[in-house]
Amino acid sequence: MTSNLTLIFNKGTKRSQHNFIPEMDIDRADLTEIIPSSFQREDLPLPDIPEVEIVRHYTELSRRNYGIDSGIYPLGSCTMKYNPKINEVITRLPAFSHIHPLQEENQGALELIHQLSEMLIEITGMDGFTFQPAAGAHGELTGILIMKKYFENKNLKKNKILIPDSAHGTNPSSAKMAGFSIIEVRSNDAGEIPLDHIEFAMQQGDIAGIMLTNPNTLGIFDRQIKDITNIIHKYGGLCYYDGANLNPMLGICRPKDMGFDIVHLNLHKTFSTPHGGGGPGSGPVGVTKELVSYLPDPSIIATEQGFVCREKTNNSIGRIKCFWGNFGVIVRAYAYILALGAEGLKRVGQIAVLNANYLRVLLKEKYHLPYDRICQHEFVLSDRGIENDITTEDIAKRILDYGLYAPTIYFPLIVKGAMMIEPTETESKASLDNFVEVMIKIYDEIKTNPDLLKNAPHNTPVKRLDAVLAARKPILRD
Amino acid sequence: MDFILHDKETIAEMLTSIGVNSLEELFQDIPVDLLLKKLNLPHGLSEPDLLRRFEELSHKNKIYSSSFLGAGCYYHYIPSLVDFVISLSGFYTAYTPYQAEASQGYLQAIYEYQTAITRLTQMDVANASVYDGSTALAEAAIMATVATQKKKIILLEGIHPEYVEVVKIYCWGQDIHFEIVMEDTLISKLDESVAAVLFQSPNFFGDIENVTELVQIIRDKAPKCLVVQVMTDPTCLGVLKPPGKSDIDIFVAEGQSFGISPSFGGPGLGIFTSKQNYLRKMPGRLIGKTNEIDGEREGFILTLQTREQHIRREKATSNICTNQALCALASLIYLVSLGKSGLREIAFQNFQKSHYVKQKLETIPGYQILNKKPTYNEFLVKCPNINELIEQCKQENLLPPLIISKYFPNMKNIALVCVTESNSREDIEKFIHAAQKASKKNMGGN
Amino acid sequence: MDLKFPADLKYAPTHEWVRMGGDIATVGISDYAQHKLGDIVYVELPEIGAVLEKGSVAGEIESVKAVSELFMPLTGEIVETNGNIADNPAFLNSSPYGEGWIMKIKVSNPDEIKNLLSVEKYQELIEKEED
Repeated sequence: MTSNLTLIFNKGTKRSQHNFIPEMDIDRADLTEIIPSSFQREDLPLPDIPEVEIVRHYTELSRRNYGIDSGIYPLGSCTMKYNPKINEVITRLPAFSHIHPLQEENQGALELIHQLSEMLIEITGMDGFTFQPAAGAHGELTGILIMKKYFENKNLKKNKILIPDSAHGTNPSSAKMAGFSIIEVRSNDAGEIPLDHIEFAMQQGDIAGIMLTNPNTLGIFDRQIKDITNIIHKYGGLCYYDGANLNPMLGICRPKDMGFDIVHLNLHKTFSTPHGGGGPGSGPVGVTKELVSYLPDPSIIATEQGFVCREKTNNSIGRIKCFWGNFGVIVRAYAYILALGAEGLKRVGQIAVLNANYLRVLLKEKYHLPYDRICQHEFVLSDRGIENDITTEDIAKRILDYGLYAPTIYFPLIVKGAMMIEPTETESKASLDNFVEVMIKIYDEIKTNPDLLKNAPHNTPVKRLDAVLAARKPILRD
Repeated sequence: MDFILHDKETIAEMLTSIGVNSLEELFQDIPVDLLLKKLNLPHGLSEPDLLRRFEELSHKNKIYSSSFLGAGCYYHYIPSLVDFVISLSGFYTAYTPYQAEASQGYLQAIYEYQTAITRLTQMDVANASVYDGSTALAEAAIMATVATQKKKIILLEGIHPEYVEVVKIYCWGQDIHFEIVMEDTLISKLDESVAAVLFQSPNFFGDIENVTELVQIIRDKAPKCLVVQVMTDPTCLGVLKPPGKSDIDIFVAEGQSFGISPSFGGPGLGIFTSKQNYLRKMPGRLIGKTNEIDGEREGFILTLQTREQHIRREKATSNICTNQALCALASLIYLVSLGKSGLREIAFQNFQKSHYVKQKLETIPGYQILNKKPTYNEFLVKCPNINELIEQCKQENLLPPLIISKYFPNMKNIALVCVTESNSREDIEKFIHAAQKASKKNMGGN
Repeated sequence: MDLKFPADLKYAPTHEWVRMGGDIATVGISDYAQHKLGDIVYVELPEIGAVLEKGSVAGEIESVKAVSELFMPLTGEIVETNGNIADNPAFLNSSPYGEGWIMKIKVSNPDEIKNLLSVEKYQELIEKEED
């Protein structure tokens, strides 16, 4: 068991000189001549620590953190796949990492964005993309604002939006940020969306459309997807595809063909860019022909003179982020697609689904599987039948003791005590078997030694932390 | 190339375990007419071929020996340990630290980031970061309307024009009234209905406001109105009075200057801070310190999550889900690498070098510095012939300053020049030389 | 579940309890509500002096992983709120009918009181919810 680690601010050692300051090679003026002393700060309470200490401190911290390079990361709806190392090299090429967003000689960058756009168009079937959104939720906001503008231009008052109860939490939240109110659609017993509910809702006349993820958060592909999107279109609505779960669809089925008008992708999920502990991500948004002019400014166009940037279009919603989006992430995603090619991408979809189903059939032997059918990239177990007052959280914490990471828990909300499992395509059979073995061992421990779970984890740098105390008396800095 | 680990036999074995005959059968729920026949993309590439392809592509971008361009994205020296630390796989291949006990390293690092940012800004609370400066400002505007229950915000002229556009679109989404005003009309626009005044300092044109005085003026006229400050290059805080000492309610900044490469403008870092009173309305993640339930040790955990979208859904202040964790980590490493004395010295050099360039330019016929207020590392200069200045800079292999008419078409022949510590004396001499040549050319000489 | 529901109180279907004293109603949340929420970490109280309709949202109660709205069981003016629970939200768990009281309302429409639930009716309602 390891002890607490001192914060960097409390390190005792002081450095004697600076490694990172260039020599001051011009004459120094009196600073107060440049900036009045009343504008200046009095103290700056940051530490002065030697480089070696800093590197050791953060190397130790990185050891106290699980990553996909440590092992399976089965978080459902998060698509924690391997991050190819070559992408890190490529994005750090000086002529990518060191260029300014406002410089003129940027043809390589514009070409790259344009090419990636063409490829995502092929992968999703859409007709145009923007790369400004910095994350999935940001892409959702962009997409829903496009919907808003579309109906404003048509002078139609449509201020409501349909969202299934299985949706990611960002969906209702993004819709609200665009000024829509939310009508929740309840999934049926098969985990799919009842057509009659949609039809009834759309008849009310004030609904702009629907936000869906397919396969949904239960890992189920909605067999009636085409009927759903047809109904929405029949009433003049638009269909939004939350691309968080696109991974199993790569090379298999395209959002446009399902009938979607707007889609956002998570480059940090489907296209292997590192999650980085929660960012930076990238959430490009694709739309159909009718909506291309609504995409944020500026857009990149290929001309005979090279790639040019069109600053403003009439319908455009405007600008959702400064400059071009998270270019460094975009570079990695493009490298991933080029590396895999058509065959590689299709294999991603297939093996992601193979791995998920393999886990599903082995785990349902012990754990309750409420929607028992072929799944896509993920599936959801419930806590039904778990004895001795053991909760889903206890199980998750116990998994950590075996040196693995836990699934997404308590989501989706429609499954009681949910454990949502997505292995991704980059796990070996041995890794999957090991995960199953751990889960079965834990299942036995629930019966034979429940205290082991209630007090878990035991083998991590700290034991279970007090979330209640943290929220009651928030300490957010030292 | 791919990253699949199964051979044919393994796949067959797994299919048998599942009880299906083929991979295709796993997609039985997808209607046949929706199945894609073929993905029309090229074949995959090996690592060396891939690298060659990208090297070629990158060479279509130009890298200059030195930059005089800023305008929201800055060249500062990045200590090499920054990239080393963010490349440790425990950090960069991690997900959001939902399982705190297996994520103590990152949680502690982000807690340290929050601490470093509050110390730097002297604000009460810093979150774990948002996407970038522009969205941070937009989130601040929304947060102010939630906190005050008012639907009108005022932007002071001088905010980065792209930030203004982002704030505008966020406001449009929620029917928040939005107005840009000049400094001399600000007072007349303030009344009970205003949720917040947003301003940038140092502003887009380089001016440093008297922040303390500005806050006081706003408080006198509209005591309940929040004051929001944004900054695009917070290295200036090495010298400048921090927002927390000027009674600012919400302070946000673009943190790219803290150890993040320009990278064509992204990813950056949205620094987001506020006074304690507004904590519950704050968007984004927060890391808190707590104790073990049955133990003595302290640890770190995601906290106050009920503010966030995954619990509060449509009632959350923001839909934000990720932060820019890896960029926040980079900025933390930057701040502790430079430390108190280093950051002071960086800010000092930025002040000094840009001041030096300002003075030199004013001695050249035809150039006129337009800033009336103090400036940090950026300033506006009226040029005898701006296109010629740009051309001369390129000939010296210098990234030229911004032609400000790109954003403000009425401001003709004006450059926004940025000088930082990364410009050596030699670079600066070249720039002055370019300016002299442009001046002479304009007067018919050469 | 070993939950307590004092018989001298009235209950709202949204799980608030009401204790009348003259025209002042003291309000909190029931033992059932606190149990469902789990450890309560924060309570957002209404502003004193606010006049709110029956059924409108008066505040919010947060646990670590859930938020629940506090509804007005009766129409009236908020005359007092329990400052102690701001520092000690745990009172809502440990003593929902005592130290964990939330607010006092000066009732403006006493007729509404008879529409509140008796303890028997409230327990029936809970049983239904549990099914």
